[in-house]
Amino acid sequence: MAGLIQNIPLIGKEIPWLQTLRNSGLQVFEKSGVPTPKAEAWKYTKPRDLNADDFVMQTSSAMGSSPLELPFPCYQIHFENGTFNPEISDLPQGVEVLPLIEAVLLKGDTRQYLGKLIEVERHPFAALNTYYLNEGLYIRVEKNVELKKPLMLINHTVCGAQNLFFNLRNLIILEEGAAADFIEYYHYSGEVKSRYFANIANEIFVGRKARFNHYKFQNEAFKANHVALSNVEVKADGAYNSFCLQKGANIGRNETRVFLRENNARTNVDAAYIMNGWATLDTTTDVEHLAPCTFSHQLVKGVVGGDARGVFQGKIHIAKDAVKTEGFQLHKALLLSDTAEIDVKPELEIFADDVKCSHGAASGELDENALFYMQSRGIGLEEAKQILIDAYLDDVISKISFEAIRDWFKDLAAQTKV
Amino acid sequence: MTTPLLEIEDLYARVCDKEIIKGFNLSINEGEVHAIMGPNGAGKSTLSYILTGKPGYEITSGTIRFKGKDLTAMSPEERAREGIFLSMQYPVEIPGVPTATFLKHAVNAVRKHQNLPELDTLGFMKLLKEEGAKLGINNDMIKRAVNVGFSGGEKKRLETLQMSVLKPSFAILDEADSGLDIDALKVVAEGVNALRDGKRSLLVITHYQRLLNYIVPDFVHVFADGHIVKSGDKNLALELEEKGYAEFVREK
Repeated sequence: MAGLIQNIPLIGKEIPWLQTLRNSGLQVFEKSGVPTPKAEAWKYTKPRDLNADDFVMQTSSAMGSSPLELPFPCYQIHFENGTFNPEISDLPQGVEVLPLIEAVLLKGDTRQYLGKLIEVERHPFAALNTYYLNEGLYIRVEKNVELKKPLMLINHTVCGAQNLFFNLRNLIILEEGAAADFIEYYHYSGEVKSRYFANIANEIFVGRKARFNHYKFQNEAFKANHVALSNVEVKADGAYNSFCLQKGANIGRNETRVFLRENNARTNVDAAYIMNGWATLDTTTDVEHLAPCTFSHQLVKGVVGGDARGVFQGKIHIAKDAVKTEGFQLHKALLLSDTAEIDVKPELEIFADDVKCSHGAASGELDENALFYMQSRGIGLEEAKQILIDAYLDDVISKISFEAIRDWFKDLAAQTKV
Repeated sequence: MTTPLLEIEDLYARVCDKEIIKGFNLSINEGEVHAIMGPNGAGKSTLSYILTGKPGYEITSGTIRFKGKDLTAMSPEERAREGIFLSMQYPVEIPGVPTATFLKHAVNAVRKHQNLPELDTLGFMKLLKEEGAKLGINNDMIKRAVNVGFSGGEKKRLETLQMSVLKPSFAILDEADSGLDIDALKVVAEGVNALRDGKRSLLVITHYQRLLNYIVPDFVHVFADGHIVKSGDKNLALELEEKGYAEFVREK
């Protein structure tokens, strides 16, 4: 048993560039450690219990995950405790899905991509993730190939008496004109009090005219820490659309950084969170408009009960030459108790003229008149609250264009009792 | 002798520390239609909220029994499931909640209470379409969010539709005619009259006599200063229409 820095068997130690990359992550994390509130980016979200020395790292795979029952067909890729279950079949031509480390060993080009979108100095946990770079997925969709069925990464944490620590690193490349829908699904079974730590980093390259729709459902155990970073590059006429629903974990952070690198690159970074207890759920976004005529739209909505805390840090950066650019951002939260809290930090950095940009934040409570109106029709108070919560989250979930996935998220949100 | 459906005895109630209902008595039997008329600010709407259990309306003394049970011990939803319905003067807008969804939840909550099987979407939509057609409520309206963007007349028709599908044993109509033109008023009144089956009882709260031409009451009560000051038959309403409430307001 040990803390977050451990010497575990990793594959590919003989590859110099890989070791250099891993070591760069180690050096940064050794220096920074677990971020404290003094770090501006972690001011509102305090990782808990991560300095404990009782983390166990899972390095061998003990598989047995059965397929998830889903209301739509998709390619399911199962991980258990962050370790890959290699069963995946019937992928169409032009789509490669491999364990990341296998891709590193077999494919020369991973070197051009890995670590290129993540500045480890900015992201201590991604630095740690880089040190352990081994488990995760390599997904490549070739030029003009459109994946009809979504790909789904399912991580199932089997909680026991020990506190697990695992890292997942995914590298996703969409070549010119490619299109895919990708879902990340995190859930657990077993000991609910387990303090496990899931540390995820994604690097996503969206080529010219390519489209990547990225969905995520985070439903970790209630004492778990879940920290995820997705850094995305979008080239000309490409689009990256994401939606993340967080409801689990004690500390859950979903951070997205999008580089709109070339003309007419677009992104939607949307999210919803539903929480109670003592949890902190954090949505952090950073959209960088680096070229003219780039477009971003962010809608984040939260429902916070108990003593829980919702955090939204949203930054829009518009570079000097990025004229005719549009960046919009809105965060709204519904507070269900007097002790629920939200912390919102919007930031606009605009260095170009002739841009359209806005941000907004609002919070409110359930409408008592609406609740009474429903009760006076026989609807129970709890049911009435749920109807209002579902309605509150409806617009952000409705932004999902894939109908079956949209309905599935509506159900997942509706099943969450606050 | 039968037990009255609703029995209010010496009721005192307040809102925000202000006494509004003062010594109110009323007994309504099965199948009866009572009208309560009174000047603005007499506490008519307060009475309707007291009967439906709206939070913030506090009973300080007196009793209310419905079907022999203590009404004041029940939550608003329990009262509704027992058969009390309030057609509100100002129906509430619920953005984001489709009218059909809202009504399906309501109908099934009441059915569940009555140990009836819940209606599936198909069965429910059939019921809603049938009842809606009678009130000139089309499909488009029931897909829209509850009362959002509805005209005054549409809101009142929707209240009546809710009553038609929930089939309460006792309905309170609070200013059901406010904001209605004469055609809309007739549609609403027809909807209400269709529910008069000799068993269902109504309490019609109104400022004007006009509505009572269409929903003819068995009893008319004048409500002023928190209690009933005069009771009579339907002719009392006509008398009030002529003379106004001045006589009763002066009394205090």
